[in-house]
Amino acid sequence: MGTYLVRRVVSMIPTLLGITIIVFVFIELAPGDAAMAILAGRVEEEEIAFTEEELAKIRREMGLDRPAPIRYLEWLGNLVRADLGVSLSTRRPVAELVSFRLGPTLELMGAAFLMSSVLGLSLGVVSALKRYSPIDHALTVAGMMGISTPTFYVGLLALFLLSVQLDLFPLGGRVSPGATDTAARLHHLVLPAFILGLDLTAALMRYTRSSVLEVLRRDFVTTARSKGLPAWRVILVHAFRNALIPIIVVLGLRLPILIGGSVVIETVFNWPGMGAFYIGSVRGRDYPIIMAVTLFSALAVLAASVLVDLLTALADPRVRLHSRGEAGR
Amino acid sequence: MSVAAAPVREPAAGERRQGRGVLRRLARHRLGAVAFAVFVMLVLAVIAAPVVARHDPNDVVLKQRNQPPSATHWLGTDHLGRDVFARVLYGGRVSLSVGLAGITIAVSIGVVVGTISGFVGGKVDAALLKFSEIVISFPGFIIILTLVSLLGPNLFTVMAVLGFIQWTDIYRIVRNQLLALREQEFVLAARSLGAHWAALAFRHLLPNALAPVIVSATLGTAGMILTEAGLSFLGVGVQVPTPSWGNMLTAAQNLTALVNYWWQWVPPGVAITVAVLCINFIGDALRDAQDPRQKI
Repeated sequence: MGTYLVRRVVSMIPTLLGITIIVFVFIELAPGDAAMAILAGRVEEEEIAFTEEELAKIRREMGLDRPAPIRYLEWLGNLVRADLGVSLSTRRPVAELVSFRLGPTLELMGAAFLMSSVLGLSLGVVSALKRYSPIDHALTVAGMMGISTPTFYVGLLALFLLSVQLDLFPLGGRVSPGATDTAARLHHLVLPAFILGLDLTAALMRYTRSSVLEVLRRDFVTTARSKGLPAWRVILVHAFRNALIPIIVVLGLRLPILIGGSVVIETVFNWPGMGAFYIGSVRGRDYPIIMAVTLFSALAVLAASVLVDLLTALADPRVRLHSRGEAGR
Repeated sequence: MSVAAAPVREPAAGERRQGRGVLRRLARHRLGAVAFAVFVMLVLAVIAAPVVARHDPNDVVLKQRNQPPSATHWLGTDHLGRDVFARVLYGGRVSLSVGLAGITIAVSIGVVVGTISGFVGGKVDAALLKFSEIVISFPGFIIILTLVSLLGPNLFTVMAVLGFIQWTDIYRIVRNQLLALREQEFVLAARSLGAHWAALAFRHLLPNALAPVIVSATLGTAGMILTEAGLSFLGVGVQVPTPSWGNMLTAAQNLTALVNYWWQWVPPGVAITVAVLCINFIGDALRDAQDPRQKI
């Protein structure tokens, strides 16, 4: 397993390099740069036009006057030394700026992941065991609605109905971590996390349902039943464990949904995370921040796929972790 | 993405064995047919927007701001006094064409690159496969948001970026189909009869990959409409005053509008849901139709 892990991690490196190069090239090719963005902001606010000299001066200060390949290599060199560089617009270290906002986003994503795993799995099992019952049909329709509605729209509806009309939840925002009131923090967290996890919940529910149904048809379940084992044992120990494997795969491969969704859901619920900060950074052409965020979200996606492989091996002893030519999808 | 069935009762025990699968498939297709009919009506309404809507979508009437639904304004007016019903219809033109244009680009790239990959094989295939893996490792929404914002958010960059990021599913389908078919006897026969490579690819190989490509493209369109909505909601998609279903929903970012003027943001969201739901049902029906062994 050790060599397997090493090999997988090493094979990630060219992919990640490719991603950083593509993103950097796009930043360079796109019209405008960070200096322009800052001056354009000033023109809008104070209505003072800027001169070519000023633009050149700011570019020089930001180091934007040097050729792009050099700046890329420099960025890469710093990255190897665990230095993410300095934000062009605020001159503060990227690591500091990002870590300040990453906490709330990870909190939201973690809660969403937890809620959708529990909900998706249990509703899927219920759906499978009560196949063709009214519950099953209701859940199926709800799941189809879930993947066909933009989650942020569901979030807006929930805010309108649950927060405004019924006053059950706060209108968004997050209690600062200094506050000791855990109940209030959870109260703020539950609704946005549930909404962010909706896509994942719906997907998990459907995969769990079909996976459990598939397993229940197999011979070893019939054998377990005919041995006279109690129904719960057959379902939980025999069927569920075997049904779990395709579900883990879905869970891991759908992780990007949470990363992308969090940007939109944070806007809806006024959650003080990475979302608004990142959109602002992209608008400001702040390339050290753009590079860091895209790199780490890609890393999260790749890491999830390795984790999927490891968990699959754990759930199913028959799976052996030889390095496969390509990651299965 | 197998979606379970429409409400169908199980048939009586006697007819069970034979009737079940067929019946269920029929019901599912009926669902697909209903979805198709609704979708066609939606598309017609959107195309006929100038006839159906009695107002211009960009007609600013400041005296008529934030009016609730009435006989003149069926879905009320927005914060500039523009007719919401007209904007939903015209916004549908934009949102649906983003889906259509995006998927056209994605399918074109996917089919061309997939054909090269599957047909040439070897090192070219390995390189292209690696490249597609890089694209897949992009966290989709983040990279789309980044690229659209960098290139300047507007209708065309949204279409282009969606197409250029989401071709990988089609690519994989085409590539895998071609690699599997390449060694089969009918291809060998065509080859030994001296068929031109283009004839091989377009007459013998690609048609076999067509069905799964159509299914994937249908479901992909639904995803693109949802992505456009998210981008435009954040202000990094289709820009106002051009209405799109997504940017109409930004109205709800204003608390006053969210609380007091529901007609400004509920209708575009319903429109998205109806459109995407229809497309998903059509996609599922198509999938079942192409593969009778499909599990539910």
